[in-house]
Amino acid sequence: MIPLSFYLGLSALLFSIGLYGVMTHKNGIRIIMCIELMLNSANLNLVAFSSYTNTLDGQVFAMFSIALAAAEAAVGFAIFMAIYRMHDKINLDELNILRW
Amino acid sequence: MVNFMLLAPEITVVATGLIILLIGVFMSPRTKNVLGYLASLGVLAALVLTIQSFGTVALMFYDTVSIDGLSQFFKLVFLAVALIVSVASIKYNENSDHTEEFYTLVLFATFGMMVVASANDLILLFCAFELASLATFALAGFEKQNAKSLEGAMKYFVIGAVSSALMLFGISFVYGATGTTSIPAIAENAAFLAQSPIGIVAVVLLIAGFGFKMALVPFHMWAPDTYQGSPSVVSSLLAAGSKKMGFVAAFRVFILALPALQVDWQFAFAILAVVTMTFGNVVAVSQTSVKRMLAYSSLAQAGYIAMAFVVMTPMALTGGIFYTLAHAFMKGGAFIATATVVWMITTQRTGNLDVPDHLDSFRGLGKTMPLAALSMTVFVFALAGIPQTAGFMAKLVLFSSAIEAGMAWLAVIAVLNSALSLFYYARLVRYMYFLPPEGKKIGMPFPYAASLLIAVAGVLIMGFWPEPFLQWAMDAAQVLI
Repeated sequence: MIPLSFYLGLSALLFSIGLYGVMTHKNGIRIIMCIELMLNSANLNLVAFSSYTNTLDGQVFAMFSIALAAAEAAVGFAIFMAIYRMHDKINLDELNILRW
Repeated sequence: MVNFMLLAPEITVVATGLIILLIGVFMSPRTKNVLGYLASLGVLAALVLTIQSFGTVALMFYDTVSIDGLSQFFKLVFLAVALIVSVASIKYNENSDHTEEFYTLVLFATFGMMVVASANDLILLFCAFELASLATFALAGFEKQNAKSLEGAMKYFVIGAVSSALMLFGISFVYGATGTTSIPAIAENAAFLAQSPIGIVAVVLLIAGFGFKMALVPFHMWAPDTYQGSPSVVSSLLAAGSKKMGFVAAFRVFILALPALQVDWQFAFAILAVVTMTFGNVVAVSQTSVKRMLAYSSLAQAGYIAMAFVVMTPMALTGGIFYTLAHAFMKGGAFIATATVVWMITTQRTGNLDVPDHLDSFRGLGKTMPLAALSMTVFVFALAGIPQTAGFMAKLVLFSSAIEAGMAWLAVIAVLNSALSLFYYARLVRYMYFLPPEGKKIGMPFPYAASLLIAVAGVLIMGFWPEPFLQWAMDAAQVLI
């Protein structure tokens, strides 16, 4: 059986890649993909813990969070679509009317 | 057997939302104004039902929903905000094609916040948190043709989604170390969490996750942009309602589920509270957009409320919880007053149309719209903490509790910050009353007037007659001790 720490290491790595991507990328689609990566690394954690603690709560939680991630992506794409219609691109760093 | 009567407020809110969505499809834009009155009635009914159920204690649905003093008090906060917002939106949505979607989103967001308030399980808490977040993402970008609204929504969405990922990652560690997602069971099994480094990681991730919603510095970057960009009625919902959801979630998760790690999160909140209130007040001084100024002042207020986590005495928690209700009326009302001014500027086509909420738009408001100016004055003085307003009572309880607990340094910082905040609040009052007006006197639209009067009534009643509210806040704090 693969030790728990391997799963935790993998999910921490995926989470870090996702966080790095959100901070460095400019394109809206890529940012949503990176956010999905972060959410899925949390799901991986939940399922791994669920298997190692012999409780089912984690797997149920992962189901819920997959559904929520899909809903979140839908709302996000809707916002990016509206931005695309106005600016003809979704480079988020070019949206900077609001600043102090 | 589940007693569904205890869930009557939630059921009323959701049913109203669904009915509005359904019948709105068949209505013409001219008759859709009725929907606003329907939404306000539904929220009012839920508010009455919540007040009736004060004092009930129950656990439902396999102990995932907890009805107690804390949940009922925060439901009161969210419903009060929803009432102010939905009444004001009757005017905002006049002749709009998307009225039913707007109200449904507002009601679903309110529902999500209400469920967070009574969540006794992390799965439910996360789902409800997301429900409220998703609805408010869409609301922030509601003006699809307005570049500012979209930019605010985009920033809110990206940062909100990252924060929920951080929160979920933190929750997964809490679950892994304790083997359960139920909040009381986590508190019982937290011994392992307290010893291992996983505990610290989880606390950091959870503080970041909730901190984004509470808009604590350094997780505040989205707040000023989103509050300024979104339609003013939505900013009111975000600043007065959605922010409180972060607080009630943090109350539930940190104080009820993770008392074993109290030293760690108490220290983190001490730093965050001081930095947040100071940063918010200092930056607010230099703002010329009133919505942005209110956003920074809202950061500062979040810093005051976060003092409850630092002091952690029953009195401090009472003060913090009382402050959330006071802040809901003050800030909700202040954004509605700004909405009134924005409406005036955009319909009169005079003044700064690019930034309709500019400080100059408030010039001589005491002459052109006396009611809006008077209520704005009440709100900003309440935010500054002038006696006989809700803000004063809240600050009195919270700051004196800090002194009682031997944290005089915290109280001193908070009082100095309040004094600083008076500067930019008083400047707004000066613009409204001591500078000459640019236009003629304008009649107030009824929905804005009604909404402002509700908020003014809330602020003044809580100031002159705080006993019942303090009693309810005390009952809520009792749950946390």
